[in-house]
Amino acid sequence: MTNPSKGRTGMIEFRGVNKWFGALNVLKDITLSVEPREVVVVCGPSGSGKSTLIRCINGLETIRDGDLVVDGQRLGDPATNMTRLRTEIGFVFQSFNLYPHKTALENVTLAPIHVRKIPRAEAEKAGRELLAKVGLADKVNAYPAQLSGGQQQRVAIARCLGMRPKIMLFDEPTSALDPEMISEVLDVMVAVAEEGMTMMVVTHEMGFARKVAQRVVFMDAGAIVESGTPDEFFSHPKTDRSRAFLSKILRH
Amino acid sequence: MIWQQLQSLAGSYPLALRGLGMTVMLSLISLVLGTLIGFGLGILRTGGNRLISGLIGAWVDLIRGTPFLVQIFLIFFILPELGIELDAFTAGIIALTNLAACFICEIVVAGIRSVPTGQVEAALASGLSRWHRMRQVVLPQAMRIVLPPLVGQYVLLIKDSSVVSAIGLTDLTRVGWLVVQRVPNGLLVFFLVGLGYFIVCYPLIMLARRLEQRMGAAHGEVQL
Repeated sequence: MTNPSKGRTGMIEFRGVNKWFGALNVLKDITLSVEPREVVVVCGPSGSGKSTLIRCINGLETIRDGDLVVDGQRLGDPATNMTRLRTEIGFVFQSFNLYPHKTALENVTLAPIHVRKIPRAEAEKAGRELLAKVGLADKVNAYPAQLSGGQQQRVAIARCLGMRPKIMLFDEPTSALDPEMISEVLDVMVAVAEEGMTMMVVTHEMGFARKVAQRVVFMDAGAIVESGTPDEFFSHPKTDRSRAFLSKILRH
Repeated sequence: MIWQQLQSLAGSYPLALRGLGMTVMLSLISLVLGTLIGFGLGILRTGGNRLISGLIGAWVDLIRGTPFLVQIFLIFFILPELGIELDAFTAGIIALTNLAACFICEIVVAGIRSVPTGQVEAALASGLSRWHRMRQVVLPQAMRIVLPPLVGQYVLLIKDSSVVSAIGLTDLTRVGWLVVQRVPNGLLVFFLVGLGYFIVCYPLIMLARRLEQRMGAAHGEVQL
């Protein structure tokens, strides 16, 4: 079923993807291709299916029909080793989901040690460097409960980077944060994007979208309604639904 | 008269020690085996295979829903009919281990289910295998919920071991029965038997209480 030879294949390819929660069609005929090194921002009203969309990419949700090809491997194909594919995909959660019983450094080194089989000393060295990179060199031995939301989310990003993924997915990474902590997380995300990471980011942060995204995808009621460059989308939205949405998030 | 009885009781001292030793031995072996099997069953029960999970659930319900004395009789008297010959000690260990495993299974299941889904998703997303997800992420957090009732279960197990005297094992309770035939003062004899159990159980009761108090303090994992 996979047709890598047929035209350009993106890093992430949705072709006619549908998903239902019971009778509810949460993803409607999604077709979307994300190129390597591309940064795509997904926005839309709550319940529009944007989180579900990116959760499908690493198999946290399964699709009912259509094709979803990630890094050349078709999801749901018996030949695809999902656990191995997940090691190539970093996922940043809205609620951080750091391991509360492990320190910041242990959170970062857990998967490299047990999945990548990197020797502990080497993993710890890399982990310290990553934590320094996200501005948390002094929090290496802190437990998540001792960190602020913004710090926890930066550890979570470092935890993903520790696996040296090809793709990073962000599911509303700043919406659980107090306003004064949003920029410290966005700064880290901008740095990751500028290093050439393939990224899909569910967010309403327009500043971030304008700065690093090549494309903004607007979803409503499970379907992709509009997609374009950040400038096109924010300055000249084409549909009534995107205009209504933008007027709501721009009001304040 | 009471003085004579006490003297006679003092003479039963070696027998009492043997009984206490038997009780501790039975409890300890089935406690260790029951914990291992109970954790295994609990992990399998939450593992997502409907058939395995259903079978374990049915077995646990069956064991929880029948008297322990009946279970012991079934193992000791009925299995030989089917050609499986067991001595009383082995039968006692099997019965106690099975009982402990079933109760511990339920405790472990409750602990595993208390771990937030987000934790499992984070572990999944980083590509951790099933074993590492369990070992590194889920179980350490589940232990917070599991430990206090687990230790409580050990206390119950030690007390339940008294039932094995029914198939002729000379544990502390049976020593009581033997002694009371020579020293006809049931109140005194079984007071001492009860004291023997209490001495073994009380440290565990204290431990359970301390663990419960510590739950709030830890960062998510219980440090003993």
